[in-house]
Amino acid sequence: MALGADARVPVDAVITELHGRVRERLRAQVLASGGSLEFEDPALFADVEALLHAAAGTPDSAKLILPELLGEPDTWRLTTSMRYQSHRSKGPASLLIFLKRQILMPMFRWLYEYSRDNFERQRRTNQVLFACVQELALETALLRRELRRQSRDPK
Amino acid sequence: MKLAFVVQRYGAGIAGGSEAHCRDLAERLSPRHDITVLTTCAKDYVTWENAFPAGPSTENGVRVLRFPVARQRRIKVFADLSDEVFDGGAPPDRQQEWFRENGPDTPGLLDHLRAHGRDYDLVLFWTYRYFQSYFGLPLVADRAVLIPTAEEDPAIDLDVLLEFFDKPAGYVFLTPEERELVSSRALHPLRHSVVAGIGLEPVPPGVTSRAPIDRLGIPADYLLYLGRVDRNKGCDALLENFQEYASTRTDVTLVLAGPAKMQIPGHPQIRALGYVPDDVRSALLAHARALVVPSWYESLSIVLLEAWNYGVPALVNGRCKVLAGQVTRANGGLYYMFPAEFDEAADYLLTRRAERDAMGRQGLAYIDREYRWPTVIARVESLLDEVYRRTSRAPRQSVSPAGAGVS
Repeated sequence: MALGADARVPVDAVITELHGRVRERLRAQVLASGGSLEFEDPALFADVEALLHAAAGTPDSAKLILPELLGEPDTWRLTTSMRYQSHRSKGPASLLIFLKRQILMPMFRWLYEYSRDNFERQRRTNQVLFACVQELALETALLRRELRRQSRDPK
Repeated sequence: MKLAFVVQRYGAGIAGGSEAHCRDLAERLSPRHDITVLTTCAKDYVTWENAFPAGPSTENGVRVLRFPVARQRRIKVFADLSDEVFDGGAPPDRQQEWFRENGPDTPGLLDHLRAHGRDYDLVLFWTYRYFQSYFGLPLVADRAVLIPTAEEDPAIDLDVLLEFFDKPAGYVFLTPEERELVSSRALHPLRHSVVAGIGLEPVPPGVTSRAPIDRLGIPADYLLYLGRVDRNKGCDALLENFQEYASTRTDVTLVLAGPAKMQIPGHPQIRALGYVPDDVRSALLAHARALVVPSWYESLSIVLLEAWNYGVPALVNGRCKVLAGQVTRANGGLYYMFPAEFDEAADYLLTRRAERDAMGRQGLAYIDREYRWPTVIARVESLLDEVYRRTSRAPRQSVSPAGAGVS
């Protein structure tokens, strides 16, 4: 249908339509590559996709529960910055740190930056996975609560 | 009012969003206020090398006072320090060191604020992330207005900013998303603030000639990226997305207009023009099927507003809240979150002419409503009046030099 010259196009509606098309294409690809047959139900697939979509959109700065439960960040968090340290006494330590910073680092900066970029991607992936687990745990907790309520109040 | 505008660089030849915003406001407010721009001698935002002579000058009717940069930026030290503090858990002194290394290290400007800060009714600071704002604003906090130009990048999460964002007497923001972001990073509710944006002049009436881009052999169906071609601007993802998309659409070209700071793949449907003169820039904007803005971090995106000013819709990275918010408020284009959505959205804008034109018109209407200079100036004036009225009633004093740092 042709639009009039003064017609308004609501962006939200168009994006919802496009998102639906992308979702259907993804569902077809998942099924074609041997994904769960449960995904033949488009509504179920949409529910799953919405849940994962929300988790994937979690910003890096978002506070999540699981990382807090893992304990001291030093024991599990990916550290992507370079720390110049030495266990030796002050004089030799200064020399070693100088050599590391001024001689070795410039030589290997390309390798350091390559590794750092990959660790950054892994850090981002971890954050998304933490968010996914949190969403799933929340859904499970809500379902359990609902089951308990129904078992107490049988119709 | 007697106003000081504090900004990292200043001048007609300076490219940079916050610098242009400062200059535009200084020139437009100077007929009604006594304005002095306090800035550095730097021209290059990477090195901060002194390029302008120190001391007073008058530029386009605005008094400018430049201070020499004491030390150029040590790029590698700054890069390592950025890694360290953005990694999280860095102590406050290292975070403050980040602002010092970021520069431009201009002690003379701080001395001026200590000695003469109280001579100004209000002192406006552009961009929270640079030396002159971070260390200068606390010296005149009781009369300071901050234009943070904040983005959702790692710097905004530095702990020392919680206290810093409590200090200004007023705020001028570029978008509602920026206000929300900064509010979420301050210890207490912000005092006075306004979302002002920037102003644009209407495009001259008549059809912008296509001749400058015809000469370059630019085809009819093209998506335009305008600005620095840089990974930090999301261009690596854009190039990947587009190449994937182009494998199914051989009639579409991606035109990149701006200096390249990364490798651009050789591809028959990608045209990298480098820096382009104004007539080519205008023609590219006016005749694009859509402008693409792939950046993750923006506090406004002036180029997005420019596209709408030409009635051209936009295709933006939806992971950037500011871009998605702007496009939704304007109804002026589409946003995507991942490659498959990029394909669908690009296809929609390229093939649905009526809808594309309608989105372009809606974008232009948004500019007319929100981003013309009289509207923007009125918002800024009203905020300045309010801050001045309220703060001039309260007892005013400068912070002692010892309080310059934020602990």
